[in-house]
Amino acid sequence: MAENSSDLVVESFKLTKIYQNRQIALNDVTLRLEPGCVLGLLGHNGAGKTTLLRLILGLHRPTAGWVKVFGQTMTPNAAALRRRIGYIPTNPQFPRGMTPITYLDYIARLFGIPAQARKPRLASLIRAVDLLSVSGDPIDGFSNGMTARLAVACSLINEPDLLIWDEPTHGLDPEGRRSMLDLIKTLAREKTLIVSSHNLSDIDEVCNHAAVLSHGHLIYFGSLQDLKGRMRRNQYELDLDGDQKAITRVLNIIKAMSDFKSVGLRQRRLELRLNDDVNIASALANVFMTLADNKVTLISIRSMGQATEQAFLDLVEKEEARGFARAWQYSEAA
Amino acid sequence: MDVPTTIPAIRINRFLPYWAVFGSDVRQTLSSWIYRLWVLLSVAAAIGYLLYRFGAKQQAGFVTPAPEMIGDLLTWIIWGSVTLIIVLTAGTISGERGSVADSVLSRGISRHQYFLGKWHARLAVILGTFFALAAIAIGGAYLLLHNDELTIIGSIVGVTVVAALLVLVITCGVSVSALSTSTVVSITIVWLMLYGAGFLMSLLPAHYPAPDRALQNLPNVLKGYYDIQMIGRLVSGALSLSILVAVAGMIGFARRDV
Repeated sequence: MAENSSDLVVESFKLTKIYQNRQIALNDVTLRLEPGCVLGLLGHNGAGKTTLLRLILGLHRPTAGWVKVFGQTMTPNAAALRRRIGYIPTNPQFPRGMTPITYLDYIARLFGIPAQARKPRLASLIRAVDLLSVSGDPIDGFSNGMTARLAVACSLINEPDLLIWDEPTHGLDPEGRRSMLDLIKTLAREKTLIVSSHNLSDIDEVCNHAAVLSHGHLIYFGSLQDLKGRMRRNQYELDLDGDQKAITRVLNIIKAMSDFKSVGLRQRRLELRLNDDVNIASALANVFMTLADNKVTLISIRSMGQATEQAFLDLVEKEEARGFARAWQYSEAA
Repeated sequence: MDVPTTIPAIRINRFLPYWAVFGSDVRQTLSSWIYRLWVLLSVAAAIGYLLYRFGAKQQAGFVTPAPEMIGDLLTWIIWGSVTLIIVLTAGTISGERGSVADSVLSRGISRHQYFLGKWHARLAVILGTFFALAAIAIGGAYLLLHNDELTIIGSIVGVTVVAALLVLVITCGVSVSALSTSTVVSITIVWLMLYGAGFLMSLLPAHYPAPDRALQNLPNVLKGYYDIQMIGRLVSGALSLSILVAVAGMIGFARRDV
């Protein structure tokens, strides 16, 4: 843990953003991001993810509270702080008529990188993101995948310590998405990352910390493991093979067991929901024994719902369910 | 995608972001259709007017003094093409807000540098074009009309007066653009501001410098008949006001969301 706040990469305190007294985009967000963190930013559309990222970058000014980056308060004029940040917006836009070489050169000059350093750097980046063959072509005609790769190169040209990537896998095909996730994993070894994504399996794969925003409020900030620990682990699906009569018999036997809240059968897929206080291992052991006794083959078994997704949905659901009770906690905290 | 190899830390040039924005905006302005339309209309009008006067002199012997002709042309640049110049400058920053500006302002550049880069780029392109057009018009008048009334000093002073007024127009356009979220709103505000201010200044007593009186007096200035103090007050007033407007625009832009 970083003991001194100047050691933190990002620190915010009661960060609030209200747009023109009409929309509360972010409300009272306090978080501390340590070096080496790979933070997954989760939330529904309009939850405030992009607003938070833009406040961290100094593109927006907070209505209340503050945000510090590398121990210093971020402002629209804090160019020196932004020199240490690499940013990819949700839908990267590029000026018309530019080629990857001219655009990367332009971005490198915006970071103040002199010619003798920026030329080799942009060349190596263009090669690294597989745009060598189109390095002289206008960006206007690029596909989503090529645009995303160029955006990655732009975000890395200044050798940043902090990377802020807003939905980096948005619009990518499976191959592009895989490459992007692999890149994030590689970068995570030496950099701090904030990755915003709707795709929870992406967050699950690459992040070690998570922040969950709901209606502009931070409802969770901590390790991804802790977040997953909050999920319900009591739903399973079993794919079976064997005589249909035997499978129906198994269904009836399991239904009679007290460990299960609900048991369902769709085709040859058995859906089990365990009671909250039950010992999962022994309950499932009984199921396996029943299958063996009735000569039903177990093809596969899996926990229902993706771990992070389930935890995220649980958190949001709980937050919604609290209703007006939320006001009590906030006034107490204030 | 592979991760590129780490390169040792390099010395940052703090003025490079300013020059990057300046260079990019000069290219962007030169390739915009509004700029091309402005140049095309100005050149066409200047050539047409010169040929018309030349033809009238050759065929009918009607002689228009060169200072009056050049005065007309310079006045036309201010009154006739000022709307195009407003359009050219009022979208400088507001036209990019939320898209391209994001990908620029999220890098290692301050808002001040961005504003100054944009402002200076528009000044350089428009004033550079104006000086080139004025030089061609004055040179053409000398060559075609062989008129002795047109003085070099008077021409320089006349062009300087118009350039000072253009600086104010450009600065107002860029500053309002920095404070506005829409190009259409920027154009409307700048147009109302400039024409309103011009109208109000024309109501002032004669000893106050006013743009319309300065433009009416251009033929005399080109002949070398001018009140240097009045010209000095007008030019320094326009430049001082431009700096004030630019500072206000720059400070306001640094406090706004993009």
